[in-house]
This record gives sequence, structure tokens and C-alpha cells, in this order.
Amino acid sequence: MRKMRERILYIDLTEQSTKVVEGGELFKKYLGGPGVGSKLLLEECPPRVDPFSPEAPVIFTVGALTAVFPCMVKAFAFFKSPLTGNLGESHAGGHLATALTLAGYGAVVVKGAAEKPSVLRISDEEVKLEQASSLWGVSTFQVEKTLRGSPEGMRSVVSIGRAGENLVYYAGALVDRYHHFGRLGLGAVLGSKKLKALQVTGTRERPLKKADEAKALYEEFHRKIVEGEVMAKYHNLGTPENLLVLNEMGALPTRNFQKPRFEGVEKISGDVYAEAFLRRKISCPGCPVACIHVARLAVPFAPEHEKARREIFTEEFQVPYNYEPMYALGSNLEISDPEGLLRLIFLCEYHALDAMIAGNVLAWATEAYEKGLVSREDSLGVVPRWGDWESYARMLENIVETRNPFYAKLAQGVKAAAEKYGGLDFAMNLGKNGPAGYMTGPAFIVGGLVGARHSHLSNAGYSVDQRALKKPLTPREMAERLVAEENWLYVLYSLGACYFSRRVYTEEAVVKALKAEGVETTVEELKALGRKIFHNLYKFKLQEGFRPSFKDVPGRFFEGETSLGKLEPSQVEEILSHYVKLRRREGLKLVPEEKMLMDLLAPKKSRGEET
Amino acid sequence: MVIGMRFHIEVLHPNRCIGCYNCVYACSRHLYNAVDVNRTAVFVRETGSLENPYHVIACRFCKDPECVKACPQEALSALPEGGISLTPAKCEGCKTYDCVHACKLGALAIDFKAKIPSPIVCDRCGDCAKFCPHNVFKYEEMKE
Repeated sequence: MRKMRERILYIDLTEQSTKVVEGGELFKKYLGGPGVGSKLLLEECPPRVDPFSPEAPVIFTVGALTAVFPCMVKAFAFFKSPLTGNLGESHAGGHLATALTLAGYGAVVVKGAAEKPSVLRISDEEVKLEQASSLWGVSTFQVEKTLRGSPEGMRSVVSIGRAGENLVYYAGALVDRYHHFGRLGLGAVLGSKKLKALQVTGTRERPLKKADEAKALYEEFHRKIVEGEVMAKYHNLGTPENLLVLNEMGALPTRNFQKPRFEGVEKISGDVYAEAFLRRKISCPGCPVACIHVARLAVPFAPEHEKARREIFTEEFQVPYNYEPMYALGSNLEISDPEGLLRLIFLCEYHALDAMIAGNVLAWATEAYEKGLVSREDSLGVVPRWGDWESYARMLENIVETRNPFYAKLAQGVKAAAEKYGGLDFAMNLGKNGPAGYMTGPAFIVGGLVGARHSHLSNAGYSVDQRALKKPLTPREMAERLVAEENWLYVLYSLGACYFSRRVYTEEAVVKALKAEGVETTVEELKALGRKIFHNLYKFKLQEGFRPSFKDVPGRFFEGETSLGKLEPSQVEEILSHYVKLRRREGLKLVPEEKMLMDLLAPKKSRGEET
Repeated sequence: MVIGMRFHIEVLHPNRCIGCYNCVYACSRHLYNAVDVNRTAVFVRETGSLENPYHVIACRFCKDPECVKACPQEALSALPEGGISLTPAKCEGCKTYDCVHACKLGALAIDFKAKIPSPIVCDRCGDCAKFCPHNVFKYEEMKE
């Protein structure tokens, strides 16, 4: 029965055909998640393919321990990113991982493109591609309502919004209403395949290999999660707690990373939302934490009811909020109206758009407008102004609909826009992805630049900086931490773990958890596996032309203060060179572009480091 | 089956549910050594959209249970403390599942993965309540 999760479902949308392949060895060697996903991507994605061509695959995987232990809830998507032109890797919570597991699939590979807008239904019994022209143009919220039903079994609904339909490079996919494949443009790739939504229903069982061991361990992990300190933050205010913490630390990006503190932060803090807007909290199935905080946004039906009491004629929306969109669309745009901020987050949910990049793009556009790089004609009469959420809301709609050449450029991300209009110095990106909200120091920058998916969660660089705040770290030590963290996180992800549970799943805990599943392994073996997974992901990145380059770091990162003071470019360069050196020592054929780095590496060749 | 402690269990605050399915997972682990959202004696039901509150359902341990009366084979019997027990030998896998339909709350499900599909009966182990992180259930040990 355990083999069930080792099945791979291949779907060809063009041919409307499916096949199921036993993936035994692949799962044995790589567990699941990014381990299996990276291998399938290398197998299935033709080199240098156009991300929007039918040949470009979308691969979904689940973890080796999905549903078996708490917080093993993440589903993983792999594709070629239209935004970065290399690895597309995005993780989502919600029901998807469990639904796929209970439908008996460890991975799903989708290739080809549908002729018409379509919905893909996957269950234990069958796979069906249905035309869904009437859903094209419909909001993600409506699609979820349409496809949810009253399921027998675990059901997941994944949908794209207008952003994905219109191929906005940073369109995401909404998963089960409150969760996301937010990053790197999965929504646009699904849009290019005319796949409006996936509905996955699982009704089988996930048997426990050694039931008594697994039950005892479940209880141990559960207690640690609900009673311990390690995840307390996520239970309570949630990640919005970070706003005040980072502001205090001097690490909260404000006004397009010009300043590390925001005067209006008190008005958009986690406490404000908890008191005035929080409606409910939501968990992923299999996680007791409920880190998803959902706000109630009440929008009056202006103008015809303006004379009546505002709160009586309103429509209500549920808007999940967390730190990243709150920094990107809040402090970074100097928005201190908590309801205005919610409206912007709402738009990103409704159209399924990466909220972080949306914020980065709007922030760049504001500066570009101030500096006269773009005109009022470009912006279709909208004047972007710090703190003015109404203008930003109109601009977001214009981006989603790619209304003119300017907005079409904004729809390709901040770097593409700056390459055309100028202002690369303040086009905030790391590896073309939008940086998260941490002006903590150099490790955050290097981490984002080199991380396989250019995410702050790739290697937790911000946390390395925060550690350095307590006890200074050398550039080499910082690089070592980035390497070790990313390798280990890929082990956790291959089990299906959520990043927030990383302190629960220590090295020792993971060995025990796998043992209960009949997998005998050691910490060393696991670390080697994490490294191998990272290398496989990088193999894809390098194949698609990615090179970590210091030149790509926007100058703005060195203009303002961070929690570790004002940064010198050489600090980042030095960590980056150590990082490259460490990765090359691991055997990764990583060739940086800078001469400086090459010089640094050259003398070591005699020690057998060349690859 | 080892009979451990038994509990009075009541779904007292269903609106507190966060949709974590911990109760369902705990129940299926307890009864079947598996994670299964259909073979369980406690249910988290979704209705129309995840925007709607979750619907948490479990046996209410009726004193005069309609499910018992509905079974033509008398495979179910009422227990003095409320609730039911199943005599597997008497359950013939009737395919009409009168017991299921008799429970208007929808707290009784059939184990369709068994050789002879039969109702899944709560044995009051309390795991659903124990693993709930949001106090949806009221539960206390039964003193016999």
C-alpha cells in the first residue's frame, strides 16, 4: 500500500491522455517533494524551452511523510519560471498535498496545453479534462466556490485568476482559498496551458508503516508544536508580529527600501489587525497551528448607498494576511491605512498575483515616476504616490489587464521594467525575484541571490543576519550557514514539511520519523541527500543560463541602513565568493561571472577544487 | 482491541474549528493505523467553500439511538451510557445502510474498505478531542 504514494501521474493536455508510472526507485532515492520534483523537471523540461510553450511541464509533488506527521502539509510545484527564466519552484499549503496523497499520487506531471479554458479533475478513480470556458475571467474566489462542492474525501482546488490568464510573469495560483503557489509565476504557466483550475480529490488511505511508533512520535511532535515555544509566534499574532519587531530592529523595508523604519508602522501592526480585522484562523489539514490569519474586509457599495450608514450596505471579503504582503504593499509603499492595505492584498488574492512582487513593482514605479522616467501617459493618468493605496489599486488592475505597454512591462517584473525605462539601481530584486521584507544585512542579500528559488526561505539569510546581530559572524561563517541551511531545508521539504516547523523537525527527529516509515537512514546520509537535491535544482538553473552575479544586486541595498548597519558592496561580494567556493567544493559546477570571484578562486585550484 | 480509557465527548464549539483535521487523522490512526478522511468516527465537513465555517460532526451518544432501531439485523445495540456497539457477525453489509440514513446528523459512516462494509463506531478513546488544538470538543474521562 505504501507504494501508492510512489505513483507518478502523467497528463498530456494536448493529447488529452494520461498514464500512471510506478516511480519506486525515484522515491526511494529522493523521498519526495523537491527531491523527486527536481529530477522530474530535469527529465521533462526541454532545455531553454519557452516557459509558455506546451512542452514546458508543470510538476506537482508531495512529501514522503505527507499527512503522517504534523505540519507535513506542503505541496510543491516545479516549472520553468517566466519571471527568472530558470527554476520555477513554489510551495503551497492547503489541502493539495493531502488530497494528492490520498488520491494515491506522489507526483503529477502536466504537459501540453488545452485548446480551450479547462478544468482538470483528478481523483483516485479518474482524471478528467473538462472545458470550462465560462470560468475564464472569473475570480479565484468564485472558482473555489464552484469546484469545492461537498466532497467525500479530501479535496483541493487550485485556481488562477486574471493575472495568470493574462500571463503576468508573477501570477500565482490560489490553493484552497487561503493558500498559494505564490512565487515565480506558476499562475502564468498554468494560464499558458489554458488551465483555469485543478480539482483534486483523495479518498484512499495513507497507511502507517509502523503504526505504534508513528502514533507515539505524532504525539511527541504534536505536543512540541502546540505547547512549546518553537511555533508559538505562528499560533498567536502570526507572522504580522514581525512588522513591529523588524521596525524596532531597523530592518523593515520602507519606501522602496530607502529606509529601514516606517513611521506609520503602528497603524498596520499585527495587533491592529488582530483587534480590528481578524475574523478567523485557518490551518492546513494535518497542522494544528492555524498560521493563516484571515481578516474581514467590508467594502461599501458606493456610491448609491453613500447616504445610508456605511456598514449596512457592504460586501464582505475574507482576506488572509501575513507579514510578506504587509511589508510589500504596506511599509514599502508607506501605506498606513490598514483597510487600504487589506484592499491591496485582496486584489492580489482575487487575481492571484505574487503580492511581494506586486509591491516591489509599485514601489519602483513610484520612484520612476518621481524621477520622470515614466510619464503620466505611461501610467494612464494614475499618479503613484507613497501611501496612496487607491492609486496603487488602480495600477494593480492595470497590470493584471496589461492595459498598455508600460503596464505590460510592469507585468514582467521590476527588472524587466527597469531595463526598459531605467532605474535599475532601485529595481529591487534578487535573482529577478522580489525580495522579502528583511533589511537585515548581507546574508539576506546573498541568500536571495544564490538560493535555488531566490526566496528568503531558501536559506534563511535573514536569520543568519539576526544571529550576527547577537554575535558577529565572519563572511565565511555566513556563507557556511547559508549552504548548510538550504541543504537541510531540502531534506525537510522532501518529507513534505512546512518551513515554520523546521525547529520541530531537528536532525534527530527526522531520522526517527523516517524510521517509523521503515526508512533507515542517518543524519549524514540525509545531509548528502539535501545537497544532491540542491545540485539537481542548480543543474536546471545553470542549464537555463543562470549565473549568480554580484552585478545583479541593486545599488539601493547599499544606500540605506540595515539592522547590521550600512552595507559595503565588498561585504556581499565576500560572502558570495565564499559561498561559490563552498558550493564548488561540494562538486557543483558553479561558475560566477565576476572576475573578482574568479581571482579569488584561482589559487585554490591546486587543492583539487576545479570542477 | 485494547480498551483504554473511555471519554464523554461532545462537539461543543464547532465554530472554533480551524480545519486542521487533527481529530479525523487521530481517529483514523486509532481505528485503522492509517490516515483516512472517510474511515473515521469524527468528521470535518466542508460545505460549498472554505469561506464557510467547518462542520465538525461526531456521535452524540444518543440514549435511544435511531441507528440501532434502523438496523434490520440488530447488528447495532444501544449502550446503557449512551451510544452504540456493533456486533460484526450480525452486520451483513446490507447496501441500504439504514443505520447511516437514520442518523440525521450524519455522524455514522460505513467502512467501505472492509470486506463486509459495516458502520464505524466510536469507541470513546478521546483521541479526537485530545489532538484538537482549538477546544472544539468538550471531553472528560468516564467513571464506571
